[in-house]
Amino acid sequence: MTYEIQPIETPSRSRPHLIQMPAVDTPTPTPTAEAKDQAQPKVQIKDLRFYYKTYEALKGINLTLHDKRVTAFIGPSGCGKSTLLRVLNRIYELYPDQRATGEVLVDGQDILDPRQDLNLLRARIGMVFQKPTPFPMSIYDNVAFGVRLYERLGARQLDERVEEALKRAALWDEVKDKLRESGLSLSGGQQQRLCIARAIAVKPEILLLDEPASALDPISTQRIEELIADLKSDYCIVIVTHNMQQAARSSDYTAFMYLGQLVEFDTTETIFTHPKERQTEDYITGRFG
Amino acid sequence: MHGPPAVAAVGLAPHAMWRQRLGDTLFRGLTQAFAIGVLVLLGAVLVALAAGAMPAFRKFGFDFLVSETWNPVKETFGALPAIYGTVLTALIAMLIAVPVAVGIAIFLTELCPPVLRRPIGMLVELLAAIPSIIYGVWGLLVVAPVLQTTLQPFLIDTLGDIPVVGVLFQGPPYGLGMLTAGLILAVMVLPFIAAVIRDVFMTVPAMLRESAYGMGATTAEVVRSIVIPHSRVGIVGGVMLGLGRALGETMAVTFVIGNAHHIRASLLAPGTTISATLANEFTEAVSDTYTSSLIALGLILFVITFIVLAIANFMLWRLSAKEGA
Repeated sequence: MTYEIQPIETPSRSRPHLIQMPAVDTPTPTPTAEAKDQAQPKVQIKDLRFYYKTYEALKGINLTLHDKRVTAFIGPSGCGKSTLLRVLNRIYELYPDQRATGEVLVDGQDILDPRQDLNLLRARIGMVFQKPTPFPMSIYDNVAFGVRLYERLGARQLDERVEEALKRAALWDEVKDKLRESGLSLSGGQQQRLCIARAIAVKPEILLLDEPASALDPISTQRIEELIADLKSDYCIVIVTHNMQQAARSSDYTAFMYLGQLVEFDTTETIFTHPKERQTEDYITGRFG
Repeated sequence: MHGPPAVAAVGLAPHAMWRQRLGDTLFRGLTQAFAIGVLVLLGAVLVALAAGAMPAFRKFGFDFLVSETWNPVKETFGALPAIYGTVLTALIAMLIAVPVAVGIAIFLTELCPPVLRRPIGMLVELLAAIPSIIYGVWGLLVVAPVLQTTLQPFLIDTLGDIPVVGVLFQGPPYGLGMLTAGLILAVMVLPFIAAVIRDVFMTVPAMLRESAYGMGATTAEVVRSIVIPHSRVGIVGGVMLGLGRALGETMAVTFVIGNAHHIRASLLAPGTTISATLANEFTEAVSDTYTSSLIALGLILFVITFIVLAIANFMLWRLSAKEGA
């Protein structure tokens, strides 16, 4: 798969109401649109509350994420969307002051259960952060990092897995001749795709993207979005974004959050064309605050 | 930003401008003078040492560096035992202190409950506040006798019998000697190395750490693959700082090294270091040759420390060049 960098035609991108909805079987936006989707529910969040020390950052979230679909979390800064994402792989547990209550069922199994093996959980759920976080090692080792943690693969199989992940992340052609070079030598956009390759190399079930394009230029952003569209066929993808167009372009479902609460959740088309809540409408049209 | 020129915008009268500029110039000159002063001082020390060492080098030539003889009565002096002892004790100290320091840093940054982080960190740093003479007395009166009856006989009985390595652990357990000096030095440099390494570990970006944990890595894996490689430069810096101190440490070493001008294969044997020799013998040096030889030792220590620093800088430069970007 080769990518040519093409000039971006921006005009159509700036109009959120002209959105192509590729995969969701929802011809008309109705309140029951969600029910008509044939995708399987992958994650069920029930009455999730989250605390930084005593501050309640999430105030009872109920939400279902579908498999092989992209769900976008949007909302103003501090609304809890990143926090919600961080609950899904329990990365918040690195910090003793933070805790979550409620249920997060992944395939019916509560991942907030303390008996849940954290490392195995995180191997099933990949995460990509706002800024590229290449590890201080070679490009190859970056991608192989997670695979080596959980699988005993022969050299050839590992090579194949790394190649597959890099191809999937649309980075292979750019790095195939310098796999032994440091991951830090790549450009910002390449580093972010490297991080995505690293996340998908372990074949996770869920991919969490925390503003994955916020530190990238428009061309790199476009590539990341193309990548998300491509990866959707295999993963349950959750993306946190500040960029309204990005949510409209790349997601099937959108959750609008405000002050730790889920204000509205529906298909992306509904949210961007017929939002039910006044707050949602104000936010997506830029009238917020 | 555009608009009218800054002067008009700020609205300062010309004489105020002039005063500001004068203040700036004075400030720059003053700080520059401080910085240059340090360089001048360094140069002066070097010149004084070289001048003082000249007679000894003239008399013994290159032999001074390679001869094992140190005989004040016959006035023949060779620096090799002192150089050997200096380098060896520092090396022993680093071999012990660096792994422990890395362990402390890992514990404090990755594993320690937050409540204990500050107290433990402060206790480790307190080690650095103990005067070196206290370490010397403690080494002489407490550590050496204990080592003489426990660790040293144990080493002689076990490692001493191994073919090649055994040479390092043979002979009578004096208590005082290279190994004891290295141990004391290790305790002394530990807080410096641990503090530096802890600080560089803390500079690892939270996001990088999280992405490794997010892959399902354990703490050990995160430390090995992310934290340590990311902190390489700082770790080298911390180690070199410790090494510099270990090379120059005087009082504590003088107490426990045994002060013998010879080179023995065994680590348990007494020896001496450059700084210990200077501390012990400067007041006794009556002849010009003797004094000059001691000054020459000081010059050699200066050069060794300089080389260590140069190597450290070279390593840092190579590391940062390798990182690219």
